[in-house]
Amino acid sequence: MVFGPGLIVMEADNDAGAVSTYMQAGGQYGLHLLWILVVLLPICYFVQEMVARLGIATGKGHAAMIYERFGKWWGHFSLFDLLLVNFLTLITEFAAISLALSAMGVSPRISVPVAALGLTLLVITGSYLRWERVVIALCLLDLTWFGLAFIVHPGWASVARNTVVPTMPLGGVTSSLVFLVIAIVGTTIAPWQLFFQQSCVAEKRLRFADLRWARLDTLIGSVFTVCVAGAMMLVGNYGFQHGIVFQNPAQFAGAILPMLGHFACNSILLLMVNAAVLGTTAISLASAWAYGEVRGWEHSLHKKLWEAPGFYATYIVCVGAAAAFVLIPHVPLQLVIISVQVFAGVILPSAIIFLQLLLNDRELLGNRWVNRPWNNVVNWTIIVVLFALSLLLAAQVMLPNLFN
Amino acid sequence: MASVQNAYEPQFFNVIHPLNDVPEQKCSSEGLGRIVMTRAVRISLGALRAYLVLMTLMLGYHVLDLAGVLHKTF
Repeated sequence: MVFGPGLIVMEADNDAGAVSTYMQAGGQYGLHLLWILVVLLPICYFVQEMVARLGIATGKGHAAMIYERFGKWWGHFSLFDLLLVNFLTLITEFAAISLALSAMGVSPRISVPVAALGLTLLVITGSYLRWERVVIALCLLDLTWFGLAFIVHPGWASVARNTVVPTMPLGGVTSSLVFLVIAIVGTTIAPWQLFFQQSCVAEKRLRFADLRWARLDTLIGSVFTVCVAGAMMLVGNYGFQHGIVFQNPAQFAGAILPMLGHFACNSILLLMVNAAVLGTTAISLASAWAYGEVRGWEHSLHKKLWEAPGFYATYIVCVGAAAAFVLIPHVPLQLVIISVQVFAGVILPSAIIFLQLLLNDRELLGNRWVNRPWNNVVNWTIIVVLFALSLLLAAQVMLPNLFN
Repeated sequence: MASVQNAYEPQFFNVIHPLNDVPEQKCSSEGLGRIVMTRAVRISLGALRAYLVLMTLMLGYHVLDLAGVLHKTF
């Protein structure tokens, strides 16, 4: 009964951008970057555990807590950043839906509006539990990635070795490698996840006694999402082994059709759509919850459409505007994708800093809920690493020839 | 007469979904005002604010530059 938020937030993080990033990692560097996922597993868990703890302790979302404890400037700034980066991410999700279904012969003029309509209907039923059950079912569809990983025969001894032993790809440290490593980190831990899980825990009204189950939910979600990410990398590795050069998963799916058949090809395309749908509903809800919290509106999936009009309007506007943007001819999608990665990289460390400060707020949380000293050591280490990567990413985007 | 005790005492565990349970008294920030920060934390947050504003402006400039908006000739 407590299960849901942890699994959803983690698996929704394997969104369309993540599918593309992990498959590119496999396609360009084979199995060499698998170990990064193992390093990211505890980071994912520790960050999201703090969010779940704060949500259970306060019963409020992350945006509301920043607003209440750090004042209007930080509240508005965090909200603005979140809404902007979420909106840009939503555009990439719809672009992926358009791309994948185009490869299956469905025109974007049909696929994108139908997806937007479906995503809207999913939330306006006035039942959190109904939404949660549907989304968990979509998360479990990602198990198909494991089937695909077996189909491509990656060489399991090599997989095991590269998972536990970091190795340097041929060619050493290049600009492309650094960018991809940062992209993997950025796509595995995204700012919207902090806001989403805390609001989701509050929405589900988890009780103090539910904390250990919420932790287990988060741990299972972390392990599942990292394993699915690994499976995506193994599938991408098939391209590396067979000299298939691809820019996106849809192109890869088309290229493997003669070798692996329709099942593998269509599975990749449909899983790409599934990833985008999961990402869209979670990210739009993160925006709608955060905006509703800060504005003081009713912001709950338990409410009917007319009982929380501002909350549902925010969700619908996010989904509808992103869908409409993708349908504009000659829209610079590549620019949007780069902006998402850089912007998310810039705001993630600061978002985690607020989380860390809130989890040390004894006046608010008392001794029971605040971080233990070892929590703080782990989390400050994570923040320092993320800041270093964030600076590196920003520097690389501003100075593209930095590592060449 | 010895009384016969019935050892069978059925135990029922009533599992209540969080959504159907009585709401708990959560940690509330009501009346607390802003978080208490040391001088070092306040200065660090000020530096963070400057960093974020600068990075956002630089990123915005870079995106507009890549989009060709800054080099349009009229």
